Amino acid sequence: MMYLLTQFLLALLATLGFSVIFRVPLKKIPACVLVGALGWITYIITVHYLGSPVAGCFTGACMVGMLSSICARCLKEASTIFIIPGILCLVPGSNIYKTMEALLLHNYENTAEIGVQTLFMAGAIAIGLLVIVTIVGLLRITIRKIKGRV
Amino acid sequence: MDKKKQKRILILAVRAGEIMMKAGAEIYRVEDTVERICKACGIDHVDVFALPTGIFVTTDKGSDEDDTYTYIRRLKSSETDLNKISRVNDFSRTFTTTDMTVDEGMDVLDEIEGERKYPVSVRIICASLVAACFSVLFGGGGIDFCIAFISGAICYVFSRLLARADVNFFIRGLCCCALAAFIALVASTNISGAHYGMIITGCIMLFVPGVAITNSIRDFLSGDMVSGVGRMAEAFITAVSLAVGAGIVLKIWDIIGGITL
Repeated sequence: MMYLLTQFLLALLATLGFSVIFRVPLKKIPACVLVGALGWITYIITVHYLGSPVAGCFTGACMVGMLSSICARCLKEASTIFIIPGILCLVPGSNIYKTMEALLLHNYENTAEIGVQTLFMAGAIAIGLLVIVTIVGLLRITIRKIKGRV
Repeated sequence: MDKKKQKRILILAVRAGEIMMKAGAEIYRVEDTVERICKACGIDHVDVFALPTGIFVTTDKGSDEDDTYTYIRRLKSSETDLNKISRVNDFSRTFTTTDMTVDEGMDVLDEIEGERKYPVSVRIICASLVAACFSVLFGGGGIDFCIAFISGAICYVFSRLLARADVNFFIRGLCCCALAAFIALVASTNISGAHYGMIITGCIMLFVPGVAITNSIRDFLSGDMVSGVGRMAEAFITAVSLAVGAGIVLKIWDIIGGITL
């Protein structure tokens, strides 16, 4: 529990940093920061239970996408503003480094393994966002249709 | 509506699109904004084709006497600025729903474009916060946090300086990561308990191509294949440049056997 709390706080601060660098409007920073931190926690929990960072990136990206859509709706704002700082925590920066390190040690087996994993993680982020954006689009059309009938 | 007015509307619409695209918006958002602004002014036939490097807009009022106007705008990439996207988004909403004139619209866009970022000192602190937090998130300790905090600040300032000197993004990422790796190696050889891997990773996170990845996916989704592929390639090249930068320094360090102060 303590571990999760520290992870949450650190992710919170990291997203805060990204929000300022990418200049999120001041009033939207709290929402942004929460989206990022919850995305990271989802990643951590998934990695803990499933043991796969690729799955973690997928669920994390889903979480970020979902929360961003909700925030965008509630705060009447473009969803990009929440997605970009939120998703940055999930981008496999450490794997980029590990791939390079394995390459330097002439450990080609590890290089290939971690490199492919890095690509898959990036792909998982993409698919996570894709799923959410599609669902949100479908929901929007259905709601419009129901409203039109009433 | 005379021809002069049509031209002014076209300029206004492209300007709005340009600000958004430079700030890092998705293609469909830019195309949508340009189209809405034109349609709100009574131009019914609008076709927009936007790329990360340019916007092409053609407008036509539809009748036989009217001319077709085309505006091609070449864009140079610039920094992500989410506030500008948000403000232009609001602007297009108010412009289409209220009877704001084209001149007033131009003034609003001028104001948005001239906006300043957060103060440099705040941004530097935040950049170092990012580096420091990630070094701990990826398994570092308290000492790594402190070193990454300092090295994050230095790398961010260095990347700003390179950006101001118009250095391209590949070399910029490479140099910044090389600097980060150097600082981390010097620190870890002289301070016991510091792990250079964690510190470098923290600094890499500052320059990771998250915006390019996110935007490329959203572009693919809305059917803008060209931009999607372009941004995907940008993300990949950036990632490679980061790895190469850190790798070169690690290799050289290995060969010369380290520097102790």
